[in-house]
Amino acid sequence: MGSEKVVIIGGVAAGTKAAAKAARENQDLEIVVLTMDRHVSYAGCGLPYYIGDVIREEKELLVKRPKDFRADFGIEVIIDTEAIKILPADKTVLAKDLNTGEKRSFAYDKLVLATGASPFIPPVEGAKLGNIITVRTVREATAVKKLLSERDIKDAVVVGGGMNGLEIAENLFLKGIKTTVVELAPHILPAHDADIALNVQKYLAEKGIRVLAGTAVKSFIDDGNGDVGAVAAGEELLKADLVVLSVGVRPNVNLARECGILLGSTGAIAVNEKMETNLNGIYAVGDRAENINLITDRHVWYPMGSTANKAGRIAGINLAATGAEDTMQGVLGTSVLKLFDLNIAKTGLSERDARALGYKVETVLVPAPDRAHYYPGSREIVTKLIVDRESRKVLGGQIFGEGVVDKPIDILVTAISFGATVDQLARLDLAYAPPFSTALGTTIVAANVMMNKLAGKFTGVGPLALKEKMAAGALLVDVRIDKEYFVRSIPGSINIPLRRLLERVDELDREKEIILNCKVGLRSYLALLKLKGLGFEKVSILEGGLVAYPFETE
Amino acid sequence: MAEILINARGMQCPGPIVQLFKEAQNCASGDILCIEVTDHGFKKDIAAWCRKTKNELISLEDEGGVIKARIKKN
Repeated sequence: MGSEKVVIIGGVAAGTKAAAKAARENQDLEIVVLTMDRHVSYAGCGLPYYIGDVIREEKELLVKRPKDFRADFGIEVIIDTEAIKILPADKTVLAKDLNTGEKRSFAYDKLVLATGASPFIPPVEGAKLGNIITVRTVREATAVKKLLSERDIKDAVVVGGGMNGLEIAENLFLKGIKTTVVELAPHILPAHDADIALNVQKYLAEKGIRVLAGTAVKSFIDDGNGDVGAVAAGEELLKADLVVLSVGVRPNVNLARECGILLGSTGAIAVNEKMETNLNGIYAVGDRAENINLITDRHVWYPMGSTANKAGRIAGINLAATGAEDTMQGVLGTSVLKLFDLNIAKTGLSERDARALGYKVETVLVPAPDRAHYYPGSREIVTKLIVDRESRKVLGGQIFGEGVVDKPIDILVTAISFGATVDQLARLDLAYAPPFSTALGTTIVAANVMMNKLAGKFTGVGPLALKEKMAAGALLVDVRIDKEYFVRSIPGSINIPLRRLLERVDELDREKEIILNCKVGLRSYLALLKLKGLGFEKVSILEGGLVAYPFETE
Repeated sequence: MAEILINARGMQCPGPIVQLFKEAQNCASGDILCIEVTDHGFKKDIAAWCRKTKNELISLEDEGGVIKARIKKN
């Protein structure tokens, strides 16, 4: 028997990972990677920073060049080549050289589909005008950089306020371009909960990036020379000499569908935990394949670099057929994002997802310093913890702030992956010294607050529900001292400092709903205990205090 | 004109702002108040305080995680 032939279609993250892993596992394989691009194995997630000149040259983004694959692994990478047809009966892929138009066929024993996803172009008038671009490949990013250096770009509109769109907006803004983000969903970061996303929105506005959420782009308007000059969004006309479309990606599934490979409910390719499709010997990985959500066991589609690399490695092990086998049990859709000095992380189910799935959801919003408050550099971060009241299991978490968020989110990832309850989370023996953490750590503080809430020690009102509650007659009582209240407060609140609460308690109407507020929630909790001790029944606290309050203060 | 240094490092809310109110009461117009704080939330507070009390925020710097604000008393 001759050596087995492996053909991999797609050469960015998942495809090259599958190729390299397979080659390491089994030296006898004859591996060919076909890619439409000129570049392979590039850091797609680094493209926004390349535009912003954090990464100066194209070569810094390229992990490996085609010739490195040949020299290091004996893998043949064929660039500028599009796979146009898969013939499963003949175990052959038909491909076309994009420069010469010449067709060639490649025989395979094992085939890996890793052609990723393509940016979605909204069906809006004028979308084909010049200087309206997507940034998905190194080639596209280099074109943007060239445009920025050659033309005096003053106003940019980024359509789509997801993670990638916001990263691009930040980098354009840092290049001195007036930048507006237009998002169709009610808030930016549509996968995050509104109480988190609105804080990010407020932060971006303070930095100088305009955000128009809940706003549809109606058309792109010609500047008279075939390039974009303005964007009609909602009721506004936004001046724009550059438009970046970042309204999400769609899995590239046509090639697969045409040859009988089944798609899943998400529209991406259905695979089992070994990354195999329904057709024998054909695997699918990366942004075009589905995943399983570890918590719900449901099919999901998370086009993320972290997942693509893992899936590629698993496919590589399985197709190498050395007897070893690997499987992907599921993913949580974990993400982390930096915008200026603000860090935002998310894992597991959002509150909205968890409620839609029918969980008995409880949430807390807890600000706490990321390291000892007296240690220089200490920063507040806000942890939102989402727990199932019945099983007490942690379902998800979202964290934002200028402090360290990737460590606590990874603690939550680990906890959720091993099915931890909030009680187990609160008892983890986490590392502590003042430069790194607080004695308990933000995650344990949040878990403790959650345990108090589950035990019925307090009830909370989220910042999004506050306005409605106040309109219905609830009284917002700020229990910080008068000097803090003077500096910044929530409109419509009254000030009774915690230490004067007992002497001024007659000012409060016992029949009315009372919501207590302070900076982070600790003093309002103490005030709640005092008022409950005095027989007040309708008392709750504003979750997250002023630190997590996403609306205007005065 | 005097320059007064307030060390509010290590203080959490409401410590730094209380210190600032106290010292500002005791100093004369034109005096410079320098306050050092490790609570980063203070960055927003100090700007709002200056605006509301009509004192002048001369500079606001982050030096190795310590916020240093210089304020001119009105």
